Amino acid sequence: MKTVWNLIKKEYLLFWNDKVSVSLTFLVPAVLIVLFGYIFGGSGNSASGIDLAFLNNSNSKIADKIESTLDTTKTFHIIKTYLNNEGKQVKFDTVSIKDFVKKGNASAALVVPEDAYSDTAFGLKLKFYYNPRNEMEMQIIQGLLQQTVMTQIPELFNSSLTRRSEDFLGKQKSKSFNKSIATLISKYFGVDTSKILKDGYFTFGVGDSTGNDTTSKGAAKFFSSIVKFDKEQLVGKDVNNPNVTRSIGGYAMMFLLFSITASGASLFEEKQSGVTLRILTSPVSRMHILWSKYLYNISLGVLQLFAMFLFGFLFFNIDIFSNFLNLFIVIISASAACTAFGMVLAAFSKTQAQARGLGTFLIITMSAIGGAWFPTFFLPSFIQTISKLTLVYWSMDGFMKVLWEGAGFMEILPIVGVLLLIAAIVNVASIWGFKRGDIF
Amino acid sequence: MISIQNITKKFPSVTALDDVSLEIKEKEFFGLLGPNGAGKSTLMNLLAGYLDSDSGEILIDGKIISSNNLEVKKKIGLVPQSLALYEEITAQENMEIFGSLFGLEKSSLRYAIAEKLNMVGLFDRKKDKVQTFSGGMKRRLNLAASILHDPQIVLCDEPTVGIDPQSRNAIFDYLEKLNEAGKTIIYTTHYMEEAERLCSRVAIIDFGHIISMGTMQQLIDSLEFKQTITIDKNYETERHTSLFKSFGLLTDHENNYELMPTDGLKLSSFFTAMEESGISYSSINIKKPSLESLFLNLTGRSLRD
Repeated sequence: MKTVWNLIKKEYLLFWNDKVSVSLTFLVPAVLIVLFGYIFGGSGNSASGIDLAFLNNSNSKIADKIESTLDTTKTFHIIKTYLNNEGKQVKFDTVSIKDFVKKGNASAALVVPEDAYSDTAFGLKLKFYYNPRNEMEMQIIQGLLQQTVMTQIPELFNSSLTRRSEDFLGKQKSKSFNKSIATLISKYFGVDTSKILKDGYFTFGVGDSTGNDTTSKGAAKFFSSIVKFDKEQLVGKDVNNPNVTRSIGGYAMMFLLFSITASGASLFEEKQSGVTLRILTSPVSRMHILWSKYLYNISLGVLQLFAMFLFGFLFFNIDIFSNFLNLFIVIISASAACTAFGMVLAAFSKTQAQARGLGTFLIITMSAIGGAWFPTFFLPSFIQTISKLTLVYWSMDGFMKVLWEGAGFMEILPIVGVLLLIAAIVNVASIWGFKRGDIF
Repeated sequence: MISIQNITKKFPSVTALDDVSLEIKEKEFFGLLGPNGAGKSTLMNLLAGYLDSDSGEILIDGKIISSNNLEVKKKIGLVPQSLALYEEITAQENMEIFGSLFGLEKSSLRYAIAEKLNMVGLFDRKKDKVQTFSGGMKRRLNLAASILHDPQIVLCDEPTVGIDPQSRNAIFDYLEKLNEAGKTIIYTTHYMEEAERLCSRVAIIDFGHIISMGTMQQLIDSLEFKQTITIDKNYETERHTSLFKSFGLLTDHENNYELMPTDGLKLSSFFTAMEESGISYSSINIKKPSLESLFLNLTGRSLRD
């Protein structure tokens, strides 16, 4: 037994001294548990800060109420203006709001048309424009939006109808009318009259014209069927196999990061074997090695990403060729950023094992918060801000723009710019790291 | 001609070389002898242009060698202490990679590869992956890859570590042939036998300082004693060791004691004392002083400490 105990102690000693194993055993799962906890466990906020373009063309009180409700909700970040060609913020109109969504500046738009509601009409019409680049996100947006609208408008309908009833019958007679109707229902259907009046199950003209809460609950059930959302998908209608088109970029990036990190970490292997020494005693400088590694990894990244998209084309009929040039530009930019990431890991790690362990941790974290696995709006707002600092976020954005929206060069230019900026900054850091580190 | 002038190289925790100066002549087989951590490899890495010194300079034919002077690096071939090879590819592919870095054209590279692989007896295995080679074969390939570009100076940093005597002798033969062919060879080791066999001149280095330098004979002649005496470890009492110490510097080895006699010791008086103490003559050996003895005499430590 003592022998077994000593062997167990040996295992623990080796385990604790292997920082990679320790981090993969505890740190990576801990981070993932926290992230998933935020999303599914309710530890953080529910969906928040979703960009929603909004245009109110109606003069009705209902439209104003919807607008003010949306203005105060945390679920949506309401956008009512856009930057025009002259660089000025101007209010949306029915054309520009659709363009705004088409360009991917917001996932969806809600328009309250001029004829959304009138005193003579019975019902509410809303227009909903959307870009389902993320199916899960879109379903949640629609659900949340309907919920938000539904909880607000019934009471307004109710107050409106009450007002019309009072105008027609007079206040006293209107109340008497409602009471009579309730008594009849009670008589023939065996329901308590006071309950009908109190809970607002029968609502026409019941309550007062302020639309208080006692009536809205029952009213919501009644009116939920008469609010009409005219939905129009603006982008991606013709995309083949939308689900795979949406997801391929995220997974391609994750695996690219793994292979580039391994390649960057191979610098340690070469150093340990003495190959780096041999190479550097030939007519080769350290910058030659860094440049060769960098360009090799970019080319490897381009090949890997292209191969993945080609598989997508061959097996899932994803259209990669109709906008191929722009796809290629995003692929190169994403590879450049990934390579910089792999190199900076190598530059600041002390050993190959450390580079691999740190790489695994960062790749999984970046993929999770960058949107490769689930929409970022699930995450708390501070993590959503951090996610915009990850190359996974921008790469995925680029792939979606190109494959989903068929974006042209000028539209992807900001994304390409961000990716190349990330690559440049990280490269400067890695060169500094290589100079002060001891890998060379 | 290699001129090392007042070289100092410091690392965060240690000064590896401290104001080292020496000159190595063309076509010389020069040995750098010292224990682990003495500064030998640092000096080799500076000579090869892998590291840059903190102060001082190294001139090769009047040109300063540094990590950025790529032209001068072409004159040098470093045989690293480690097996600096890609194990997962073939011997020929390794040679092609390293040869191409020296700018060898395809045809001359092919010729050079065949010549060097033949020289180290690996031509028939050129298509085999390095990972299938024995330790000795890898060492030979390690050497061949370093001289592919026909360098004027060959730096050998303990090139025989961990191999069998047969492969070691083979490497010695190749190096001697290279030296005969006019190459300057600088060889580091902590094995005195290697330095004694190969080197015409030796510098002994310890703690970053050159503590002695000269031909083998000059170094041996510089010793106060002309013989060393070994005594088998059959006599380990304090009385015996005190007696031994009265005749000179005594060092304790695994199987015997080694005595470096004080100047002017008469062997007759030593043997008389041994006889009186009951020590058998068969336990005593008289030897010519070795580099090991020299190092011990200079530093009070063994080369392998």
